Amino acid sequence: MPGADKETDLSERIESFLSELKRCGSGAGSLRGSAETARETTALLRRITAQARWSNAGDLMEIIRKEGRRMTAAQPSVTTVGNMVRRVLKIIREEYARSRGSTEEADQQESLHKLLTSGGSSEDNFRQHFAHLKANVIEAINELLTELEGTTDNISMQALEHIHSNEVIMTIGRSRTVEAFLKDAARKRKFHVMVAECAPFCQGHEMATSLSKEDIETTVIPDAAIFAVMSRVNKVIIGTQTVLANGGLRAVNGTHTLALAAKHHSTPLIVCAPMFKLSPQVSDTPVQSHLHDLVKLTSILSKVNAHCPVFDYVPPELITLFISNIGGNAPSYIYRLMSELYHPEDHEL
Amino acid sequence: MAGKAGKPSRPRKADKDEEEQPLQAVLVADSFNRRFFPITKDQPRALLPLANVSMIDYTLEFLTSTGVQETFVFCCWMASKIKEHLQKSKWCRPTSPNVVHVITSDLYRSLGDVLRDVDAKTLVRSDFLLVYGDVVSNIDISQALQEHKQRRSMDKNVSVMTMIFKESPPGHKTRCEDDDIIIAMDGKSKRILHYQRAQALKRLHFPMNIFHSGSDEFEIRFDLLDCHISICSPQVAELFTDNFDYQTKNDFVRGLLVNEEILGNQIHMHVTKDGYGARVSNLLMYDTVSSDTIRRWVYPITPEANFADLEGQSCTHSRHNVYRETGVSLGHGSQMEENVLIGRNTMIGANCTISNTVIGANCVIGDNVTLDRAYIWNRVHIADDVKVKQSVICDNVEVKHGVVLNEQCVLAYNVVVGPDITLPEGTVLSMHHPDEEDDEDDDEFLSDDNDVGYRKDKTKLKVFNPAEVGSEGKGYRWKTSSLEDTEEDELAECIWGEIPPEVSSNICCFDVVLLGVEQSLYVSSQLLKKWAPVFKNYVKRPQDQLDCLASMEEVFLERETHWAALVKVLMSMYQLEILEEEGIMHWFNQGSTTDKSQQLRRNQGLLKFIQWLQEAEESSEEDE
Repeated sequence: MPGADKETDLSERIESFLSELKRCGSGAGSLRGSAETARETTALLRRITAQARWSNAGDLMEIIRKEGRRMTAAQPSVTTVGNMVRRVLKIIREEYARSRGSTEEADQQESLHKLLTSGGSSEDNFRQHFAHLKANVIEAINELLTELEGTTDNISMQALEHIHSNEVIMTIGRSRTVEAFLKDAARKRKFHVMVAECAPFCQGHEMATSLSKEDIETTVIPDAAIFAVMSRVNKVIIGTQTVLANGGLRAVNGTHTLALAAKHHSTPLIVCAPMFKLSPQVSDTPVQSHLHDLVKLTSILSKVNAHCPVFDYVPPELITLFISNIGGNAPSYIYRLMSELYHPEDHEL
Repeated sequence: MAGKAGKPSRPRKADKDEEEQPLQAVLVADSFNRRFFPITKDQPRALLPLANVSMIDYTLEFLTSTGVQETFVFCCWMASKIKEHLQKSKWCRPTSPNVVHVITSDLYRSLGDVLRDVDAKTLVRSDFLLVYGDVVSNIDISQALQEHKQRRSMDKNVSVMTMIFKESPPGHKTRCEDDDIIIAMDGKSKRILHYQRAQALKRLHFPMNIFHSGSDEFEIRFDLLDCHISICSPQVAELFTDNFDYQTKNDFVRGLLVNEEILGNQIHMHVTKDGYGARVSNLLMYDTVSSDTIRRWVYPITPEANFADLEGQSCTHSRHNVYRETGVSLGHGSQMEENVLIGRNTMIGANCTISNTVIGANCVIGDNVTLDRAYIWNRVHIADDVKVKQSVICDNVEVKHGVVLNEQCVLAYNVVVGPDITLPEGTVLSMHHPDEEDDEDDDEFLSDDNDVGYRKDKTKLKVFNPAEVGSEGKGYRWKTSSLEDTEEDELAECIWGEIPPEVSSNICCFDVVLLGVEQSLYVSSQLLKKWAPVFKNYVKRPQDQLDCLASMEEVFLERETHWAALVKVLMSMYQLEILEEEGIMHWFNQGSTTDKSQQLRRNQGLLKFIQWLQEAEESSEEDE
């Protein structure tokens, strides 16, 4: 039966995606960049939309929400998956509203007036059937995919505005976005880069080799030397794993150190992050300064508890500027960007 | 073929090598010993929970993540439970990358039987992984597998098996003391030349021929932890069929190494430095592997990853390795200090202190409870003011208030322990009476760790003893051997794994008697009578008797003042039929090497005894 085949094929793909997510942390560092994960998630969601059985927007949203919950539960530290699910849910809402003919603005504004005058919840609004909804949603998801593919280029295009000649730039670890950013600027300007190696995986080394291949003067420094060297640095440019809703970061360990050193020397800290990394989570432990994601160490030590956190929380006060594919923004503006990307009801999947 | 989703496509015969074959594994879900009795009277070992997930799930996850596509699970004891569990698990879903076949039979008695069955059914087509159902590991086998295949293709089928070991310093707690091995290997080709269980021996003998194997780099290693994971070629199954003597892996390895010149088969090894692999072979290992899992040494198999995909088993991971599942409620003032895993819907009362503990689902724990290194399974009720230290509490147990469980206690399923009682160290309580008839037949299980069957005190009572379980308690105490005042690990035969070495080792017999006699000197002959069954167990052959006497000699040589007692000891041993006349005479007539022992033999009392013995011998001969 072709129908049953499609369904089992679909669930197979979902299962294999889930198991890949679960194992994605098992190598040293992450085996795939977040851009790839985002693209694969979106492609999978598009496939679900195309192949699953649903008759109205409400059903589709339920299905996507359910799969989204499973995917985020499989690997909670990879937030791009949840972000993409929320984007798709927002797309569905928009397309539905467009099909109904009502304007988007009316739904967005949560003004006091609206709260007082409007009646019940808009739950039952999604039950109408529209013939072209499926096609519209799939088209919108395709647009999202193209947007995802162009994020790195969009960010790199802004490099020349921020990097000037003979500047000393510091970065930490390896971020593909920052790499592309710096390489783009290097085509026209001459500057010097210092890379903090970011133990224990020392991805900074790979970053340095890659940058030096483009004839950028690079220096690798150990993490302990960050503060000592900071006085000579003009700008700090870093990537991140996630941008939190309050404007803070969840970035690779060592970033908080870097941010504090930069603050102390009043050096601007610029974060290059595409929009798909923006997550509606707020760090739930603002006092605690690390989020644990422990990774295996190389020898069994008995009687010793070894901690190796992979991510750091960086509070928004330490950040100067966010550069994303839609331009530069201050950390205090992040919440506004978020409301454009995700619907408030989808924050909790 | 189009409609079959989820099954790996079978390679057509036209395809070339074995490289196209999906990797297979043989999982032996039965350990063929009774180390976990009485817990395993109700539940097979492979289904016991480790950090709230059944042990067999860890093994299957390890196999699946290392690329195995077809697994054969062999079960014997309580096979139906294992089968049911697997069918509900994620590995039997159609989308699972690893296809699991469960094969059950009541006739398996050892690993050898399983492998003979594998051979008879020709289940394996090429190299396969052989593991037990209680192995927890995150090692990536692909490199070892590649080396194995390379070796086999270069030297046509000479290398039969590759064993996986982990580097681990001696004395490390993940090393199981019973499983300690000493290996002599060829440094370049990683071939195993000699394999021996260490068993706390102080002296070891290596046969000289191993050093003639033609290589110039030898390593003798004691820093290896056996992960009990092996990459075997199909020949292994055939070798087991050819040799009915091979029952355990130990037999097999030693047999192969001994017969190397004849059969030409070799065993190689692979040592991993990263990666974790351990087998839960006794309760001490259970404690260690559990705490290693909680402390994330087995990443990515961690409690919050929920790798077994169980519904409702997601948990959050916080600082100091504290994991909480959904629905946990913690009372006021309670502290979860470090390395704690709490199952879902568990309620914990006020002012509790919990550390290094695993608590299962739906438990109710009262106020002022102290839990340290406790392993509490599901639906347990613990009342107020209870202290638990390094113990295992199985499902549905009720612990009333004021109870103190000392180290190494085990409360098996459904037991109730009464109020205000302190259980001494090493108490094992179970609802099954120790004398209960087994439904299984009495064939001995044959396994590498099967040792002298521990003795249970034959109590004739069928009622609960309030002194053991408290006034409201229910359960029978499973006593270990009747040696209550010994501290020597060799003599205490309890399930925590401190078991005496195998009978076949002469040196241990020596030690046993040595220690036994030492103790008796200080206490009395009463003690000797009490220990008679143990001695008789060890001293069976004439060689053993000589050893026994030699050890006694050694003891007495150190204590000149006690030579008078020597006669008494010999007399009682003779009367208890531990030693026989021939043995004693032989020993006496043996040429003595030191002056002191010559002096000993000239001792008056001893001479008289020997004379009496000779007369007794003659008279018994005349009678006959």
